[in-house]
Amino acid sequence: MKNFDDTMVVSHFLRGGSILSVMFIILGIIILFVKREGDGFTLQQIASYSYSLTHGIDSKNFPTSDIIQGVFRLDGIYFVALGLWLLIFTSISVVVVRLVWFAANKDKKFVIITLVVLFNLFFAMLIVPSLL
Amino acid sequence: MLNYIEIIIRFFSIMLAGIFSGFLGSLTGLGGGTILVPVLTLFYGIPIIFATGASLISTIATSDGSASAYTKEKIANVNLSISLEMATTGGAIAGSFVAIYMYAHSLSWIVYVIFGTVLLFSLYPAVKKLHSEIPKKTKPDWSTKFFKLSGSYFDERLKQTINYEGSRWYLGEIIMFFAGFFSGLLGIGSGALKVLGMDWALNLPMKVTTTTSNFMIGITAATSSTIYWYAGFIQPLIAAATAIGVLIGAYYGSKVLVRISNENIRLIFFSVLIFLGLDMIFSGFDKINLVLVDTVFQFSFAAVVAIITILILFFHEKITPTGGKISEKL
Repeated sequence: MKNFDDTMVVSHFLRGGSILSVMFIILGIIILFVKREGDGFTLQQIASYSYSLTHGIDSKNFPTSDIIQGVFRLDGIYFVALGLWLLIFTSISVVVVRLVWFAANKDKKFVIITLVVLFNLFFAMLIVPSLL
Repeated sequence: MLNYIEIIIRFFSIMLAGIFSGFLGSLTGLGGGTILVPVLTLFYGIPIIFATGASLISTIATSDGSASAYTKEKIANVNLSISLEMATTGGAIAGSFVAIYMYAHSLSWIVYVIFGTVLLFSLYPAVKKLHSEIPKKTKPDWSTKFFKLSGSYFDERLKQTINYEGSRWYLGEIIMFFAGFFSGLLGIGSGALKVLGMDWALNLPMKVTTTTSNFMIGITAATSSTIYWYAGFIQPLIAAATAIGVLIGAYYGSKVLVRISNENIRLIFFSVLIFLGLDMIFSGFDKINLVLVDTVFQFSFAAVVAIITILILFFHEKITPTGGKISEKL
């Protein structure tokens, strides 16, 4: 594991992740414009800032648990949502790769430091929703 | 309601704002988000909640995209970034909660004012030549060894390997908490504050601070983004348009950056940022009717101040012997 080049792995993860997520976002926008609707809203409603603000066309109403179903329904909004989450997970994956690398090198101190960072990330992702 | 053609035009015009912000953010070293939020709120009338949400997503996109190149060059200090991320992610959570509180209590004007102020202060490390590219050697302390703050990299321009030893980790950690806090509150990457923290507190070479900062921005923004997602601050159409736009802009910005030889050109870009910063402060006070002049006057006043500041900086650069290297470090 000493020869495991973590910076190259991280570099590939970042590049691959950002390309994949942008592809999903672009695909979602194309679907949205072709179908002229998404998640029950018309394209006009989605494009209006004030309507979005008052009628909740925002991330709060696109729960992560619905994303996969939405993608299978070929719903453009959920393709965009998947792309945006992939972007977030790309950043998180870097921390996970680092954790594996520190663990493989038996660097206990940095394993703990990385776990604190991961805890913060998962606190924001899993615990915060229940507080809002 | 908008017709189909108008919606397409709206989408591409937001994307254009993203390209402009990504381009300018890349040239000034501040990142796309810092420019995107004022542009979207002041010129597109997009609610600041959605503007900051879109900005965070764009920040991750550019950070992920450019960090992949930086890690290949092995300049970024990975150990350092992880230990500082403890503070930035914690700060991001705190900042996001404060943002939610402010929007829920109709205090968005404070966000405008803080945004403008942070934008103006971000220019300080960018404009001022803090010190030479390689910092003076300082005495390593207990944190140097404990947090592995030392390292080396090969400097292409100086054609030599640079060894460095950072110190005062605890001071860096405090600044990083605030960098994370402002990232969560304002939906930006807080790159300028991160660079300042590593440069001033930890005494690291500029190349190491900028690349490491870029690396950390993605993880900080990812933390705030998840909270913004659940709070409903991300509007899919706006976030999609800006993420694509900022990525394109940042890509071309980094290409142009290496070709710009006259550093004075960057002064023009800084003037745009001064203009946006002042306008954000005005808009904030305008929301609570503290500004008694109309928008046209506010814009004109901000423009005049920006031009005067840049002219002063321009002539100052001309008469100082070290002039003309404003943001070489960025």
